[in-house]
Amino acid sequence: MSFAVGLVAVVVFALLAPALQLMARARAWALGPVILLAIAAVVSHGLGVMLGIFAIPQFQYWNAASIFGFFVMTYVFAFGAVYKSVSLDILRGLVDRPGRRAAVSDIAERQVPDLFRGRIGNLVDGGLVEPVDSHFRATAAGRNMAGRIGRLRRAFGIGDTGLYDFSD
Amino acid sequence: MNMLPGPAQAAAIGLSIAFPLLLLCYARIAATGGSGRRFRLACVSVVIFYAIACVALPGQRDVGDVIGGLLLLGTAMMFCYILFSLLAWGFTLTLLTALVQAGRPLTLEHWAEAYMQGGDLGTFAHNRLKLLVGSGLVVTADGRLAPTAKGVAVAHLVKLVRLSTGLG
Repeated sequence: MSFAVGLVAVVVFALLAPALQLMARARAWALGPVILLAIAAVVSHGLGVMLGIFAIPQFQYWNAASIFGFFVMTYVFAFGAVYKSVSLDILRGLVDRPGRRAAVSDIAERQVPDLFRGRIGNLVDGGLVEPVDSHFRATAAGRNMAGRIGRLRRAFGIGDTGLYDFSD
Repeated sequence: MNMLPGPAQAAAIGLSIAFPLLLLCYARIAATGGSGRRFRLACVSVVIFYAIACVALPGQRDVGDVIGGLLLLGTAMMFCYILFSLLAWGFTLTLLTALVQAGRPLTLEHWAEAYMQGGDLGTFAHNRLKLLVGSGLVVTADGRLAPTAKGVAVAHLVKLVRLSTGLG
């Protein structure tokens, strides 16, 4: 029964999370999508625990938490994959084209540069990069974040190209 | 309400905490290969450790406890993968680190070169396309790209996920 309570909380999360994303866009909230997911997870988990306490005399918290955690993380995983994946953006763009065909050069010379400019816009909006005339430079916050990322990458033995290594 | 995890769940919680430490250890061993392979190796390792723990822990195993433990372990793996993939393959983060590493303001074109470490955005586009082609989602013929049936299905799935998660 505790697993069922966890599943009920998952359903609450699956309804609450998109509702918050839509409300945030409609009302121009300053909260980012990840913060909204975290709020939805905390609220739905809290409601699930309360339901378990009141409805089940022998409520096993970790049984409910395990199924809740797994499905919420699956949701976040799927959300992250479709939110800003360059590969999936290319695939979607391809499927949406008339005839579902595109020249490789068109993707490389038009779509990818557009994605590039979009991401630079995100960095500027996030206060990590600032435009100076026709140039861009990292702000102090951007340099701090880049430093932290570099340290983490070195610790985990990750290269700094951001490219997929197909020798894997 | 019982807040105490079962023995298998306790083992899974311990292994979940140890998972990033295992990734750090594997980063010190050259034979573990690239980032992706190392992550998969860490996943397989913790699943094996979990199976050993389920057999070796004293007392009778409860199915709910074992399933709950597996779900907790899966949650930890997905959570770590989201962060690890951002570090390893994050487009926006790598843009930022490339700009900071350049040590001076860059134009859009020079930023793209710095990001690709001497290459251009075409190289990046081909890297992402290689992933789509390798996954069987896209085929290339005569310099043109076309989605496979699987690619079209994935693109529709992506649209469905975007709609249902409130991304539109």
